[in-house]
Amino acid sequence: MEAQLRSEELIEQLASGLRPVRRMAPPAWQAGLWLALAVTAIGLAVLIFGLRHDLGARLRLPQEVVQWLASVGTGICAALAAAMLARADRSPAWGLLPLPPLALWLASLGWGCLADVARLGPIEGQLGTSWGCLRFILLLGAPLAAALLLLLRHAGPVRPRPVLLLGALASAALCSAGLTLFHHLDAAVMVLLWHGGAALLLLALTAGLGDRLLLRPSAARRPG
Amino acid sequence: MAAAQAGDAQAYDSLLRAALPMLRIIARRRIRDPAEAEDAVQDALLTIHRLRDTYDPGRPIRPWLVAITERRAIDRLRRSGRQAGRETPIEDFGETLSDAAANRGEAKVAAAELRAAVAALPQAQRTALGLAKLEDLPLAEASARSGMSVGALKVATHRAVKALRRRLGVEE
Repeated sequence: MEAQLRSEELIEQLASGLRPVRRMAPPAWQAGLWLALAVTAIGLAVLIFGLRHDLGARLRLPQEVVQWLASVGTGICAALAAAMLARADRSPAWGLLPLPPLALWLASLGWGCLADVARLGPIEGQLGTSWGCLRFILLLGAPLAAALLLLLRHAGPVRPRPVLLLGALASAALCSAGLTLFHHLDAAVMVLLWHGGAALLLLALTAGLGDRLLLRPSAARRPG
Repeated sequence: MAAAQAGDAQAYDSLLRAALPMLRIIARRRIRDPAEAEDAVQDALLTIHRLRDTYDPGRPIRPWLVAITERRAIDRLRRSGRQAGRETPIEDFGETLSDAAANRGEAKVAAAELRAAVAALPQAQRTALGLAKLEDLPLAEASARSGMSVGALKVATHRAVKALRRRLGVEE
């Protein structure tokens, strides 16, 4: 214990090796940058696959519109919250920002399930597999989440886990919204199952792998 | 801090020095052990250094410093909590191995050394030592058993002890 470096000496060392740094862009700007990247990537995917044939009819249903807007809102709010939480001095309350749109999104999906049951009969008849949804959200969502975490890697020593989860949520929500534009899925329970399931899987994946990205003590940015 | 971001070492030094008492108060409030708290302060200083480009000069510096220090103090507390659950302080035990028999090695070595030293003594001294010191017989009986005179026994015992002391490195 006696051989320990004294804090005053540490300050001296840190100050003597000081090099100028470029100030990081404000968090809102970082979130905007990532959203632009995500919209471009998802837009490209939509262009490649083409809009779904019944999109016009879908957009006339207010419930579908609410659901879509809620998923987009979840993505935007989660991205902004992640960027804010990555800064040490921002309030942890930012983490609550995506909860209202997320609740609305899940509620509209749940309500859609109930409406479908009333309209089409028992839920078993509507179940099917849609590996395409899962694949799309994972294949596009994982790189997008990774890009956001790379942009926000300074969150590592501050609040790594909330930022990880919010980043995955933002990616999954936006991918789900993009998927709705071109992929034909009628039953709300299918959307809930495959979009929601994919979102959860992406969340788990990010939580598992993202630790390495954010929690390594000095990989992202060495002191100096 | 804005000056420090531009590379002004003087400003940076005085900022950290001025903040140090506050960082210490924050760390001590969370961690009771003073050495551990000081470690947390140093962790915080390193984090502040590493994240200095994320500070926004338009916002007050104090909450930024406080938040980072709180985080490092909590991290350190968690780590020491985990360690305490996994490790046992070694000073509480005189022995280093959990198997009791494994800790007698030193005694065994000492016994072997002593035996070798005794074996190296001349026959008369060995007999005298064995009778007078190990079996603790009165000198008269030892003399009767060994056929040596009491005086010779005394001298032989004395010499034997002296030789052993010399050999085992406890010469006074």
